[in-house]
Amino acid sequence: MIKGYAGRVLEIDLANQTFSFQPLDEEIARDYIGGKGYGTRLLYDRTEPGIDPLGPDNPLIFATGPLNGSVAPQSNRFAVVCKSPLTGGIGNATCGGNYAYGMKRAGLDVIVVSHAAERPVRIEIDGDRDHVEFFDASDLWGLGTYETQEKLGKKLSHAVIGPAGENRVLYAGIVSNERIAGRTGVGAVMGSKNLKAISVTGKRKLEMDDPEAFKTYTKDVRELFKDHPVLGSSMKRFGTGGIVNTTNGRGILPTRNFQSGHFDDAMTISGEYMEDHELVGVKTSCIHCPVTCGRDVEIEGKGRVKGPEYETLALLGSNLEIADLKHINVWNYLADDLGMDTISLGASLSFAMELKERGIWDAGIAFGDAEGITELIQDIGHRRGAGNELANGTKKLSEKFGGHEFAMHVKGLELSAYDPRGSFAQGVEYATTNRGGCHVQGASMYMESVGPLTINPQNMKLKADIPVLMQNNASAINSMVLCIFTTYGMIPKQIHDMDPSSMSFRAISKVFENLGPMMRIAMGMKGNPMLWFEKWLTYITGTKFSSGHLQEIGGRIFNLERMYNLREGLTGKDDTLPPRMLNESIFDSMDAGHPLDELLPRYYKLRGWDADGVPRRSTLDKLRVRV
Amino acid sequence: MGISVELTYDMGKAIGQHRFELEGASTVADVVELTRTRFEGGDEFEKLARVARVAVNGVLIAYRKGMKTKLNDGDRVGFVKAAAGG
Repeated sequence: MIKGYAGRVLEIDLANQTFSFQPLDEEIARDYIGGKGYGTRLLYDRTEPGIDPLGPDNPLIFATGPLNGSVAPQSNRFAVVCKSPLTGGIGNATCGGNYAYGMKRAGLDVIVVSHAAERPVRIEIDGDRDHVEFFDASDLWGLGTYETQEKLGKKLSHAVIGPAGENRVLYAGIVSNERIAGRTGVGAVMGSKNLKAISVTGKRKLEMDDPEAFKTYTKDVRELFKDHPVLGSSMKRFGTGGIVNTTNGRGILPTRNFQSGHFDDAMTISGEYMEDHELVGVKTSCIHCPVTCGRDVEIEGKGRVKGPEYETLALLGSNLEIADLKHINVWNYLADDLGMDTISLGASLSFAMELKERGIWDAGIAFGDAEGITELIQDIGHRRGAGNELANGTKKLSEKFGGHEFAMHVKGLELSAYDPRGSFAQGVEYATTNRGGCHVQGASMYMESVGPLTINPQNMKLKADIPVLMQNNASAINSMVLCIFTTYGMIPKQIHDMDPSSMSFRAISKVFENLGPMMRIAMGMKGNPMLWFEKWLTYITGTKFSSGHLQEIGGRIFNLERMYNLREGLTGKDDTLPPRMLNESIFDSMDAGHPLDELLPRYYKLRGWDADGVPRRSTLDKLRVRV
Repeated sequence: MGISVELTYDMGKAIGQHRFELEGASTVADVVELTRTRFEGGDEFEKLARVARVAVNGVLIAYRKGMKTKLNDGDRVGFVKAAAGG
């Protein structure tokens, strides 16, 4: 067995309440690493086209990678893969907490949950005894994710759903500790199987190829992170909320259902404001992570709870025109406890507000008014009244009530909190990412509109190139499974420390902007490992990983996801942005919206796809994508 | 109507005001100078503004005409720090 893997896949059949341990497929592990990549391969191979995402034929795949179970910073995340009930295409999400670590300690690389139980169940897995036990979960059904985990105790690591998953809210997630695999409705799939929780335990140790080199190097990386302005400073002080004032200043903070990119009261929902006024502590719920981006705040009646991160501050704050952090703290807690994605939730709420504003449909909530939102979030989680409509997400709401032109989703997945009209590469990423309008399957915005070494985000240079490189990189990272925030460390401290108005800084930015082809060549080179995650993979598995290797593997994963979507009936026409993004300008520097039509052909060409967005046979062969 | 100026959080904290209106500024350079006068002594302004970039209506002045960028009534000038999201 390749080092870094436990070597086992646990197959669970919920209908018959049986299980078996199978050997990990080493060929898949070599080609797809693990996590999202391994899970996508299994999903593609095991399912027939056109299955019902909420039916028993949709497997729910929990997958770790070779970095999980180690003490490498940011390395304990697991991926969940299935067909998405929200988009009808590939569904996946990753999650921190301690469950990935628990799976590897139990000697499990992958858990495949098949079919559905007749009544609510939960599962306990003892990896040391090779034993799986099924329990009646009627007593837990209906409980929130926090109470569920409390009742299950701290001896095991848990992945659980809340009422939103049970009620098949299409953007329900799966929770570990206080973190959530939020996107694409993976929690609804778990709920459709009547599976409330999976708990794992074990004492197995991760075998590495060169544990000494790993240990020594990891110490160095911890020091590197400690000194890094983002990973060691701003994330620690402000969490991800430290970006609110930046996106607002750059005109890309979603406001009033993306009618604007600027919110006058952004300061009061920022990470800095949270530190000064609301913060009561720092959460370290992702095991072994020194970045500690989680915030703790206090809410009435609950005490100290996890505070909101950036996407939540934007989607439940500025995008609803809510400037009171105390409201957002409560809604964030509620969404986590009900077990649902705050991005899709916030976008569905803002869409409903605009429907009301235009006199189309009244869900009882309005921009800038907190009244009714708490109750409506509860109703969404339990599918009551208007909440039952919002539980289906923005796309389905627009299909029922109208408003397609201001329904802010791609492929059915609601947009994250970066307006693409001020971040062209991010717009291309949204349009082409296989799971839909998401930012953590690439994070192009960091390279153009919010990070330190930004290029002009509103011209055509590199705007098709950056997404390809970043999506490939993120596909590999989500398969190791590492936190995507690690990419923020790729721009070194020295660049952050430079005066942005200095000649030298401007010269570096100019060079960066004009080096597109060279950047692709450099990132595609299969040399020695340079970055920390390349070295970790190399030390752990004994196989050499460089940027070029990861670009190739990431490209393979991305193309397999693409083939899955095409098989499910999606086409190049789905690679688009909401009409508001394409047709309405919010900048005095632009006459129209995002120039996707001009950028997409180059993106397809770089990907090796034809004009309809279909991967060419030669591309699939080159990447060894078996379909 | 004037020019609306938005400061970084740290700059705003230093002078107790994150946003204010300015009259009589026709270029970004004017705004920077008038903002500087709101800080006691130039050092603090230099220190806090050093890590910030200036944007007019969300577009960095590096992609406009730098400090010479002309302003119109109602424009928004922001001091913006680099950050990372999540």
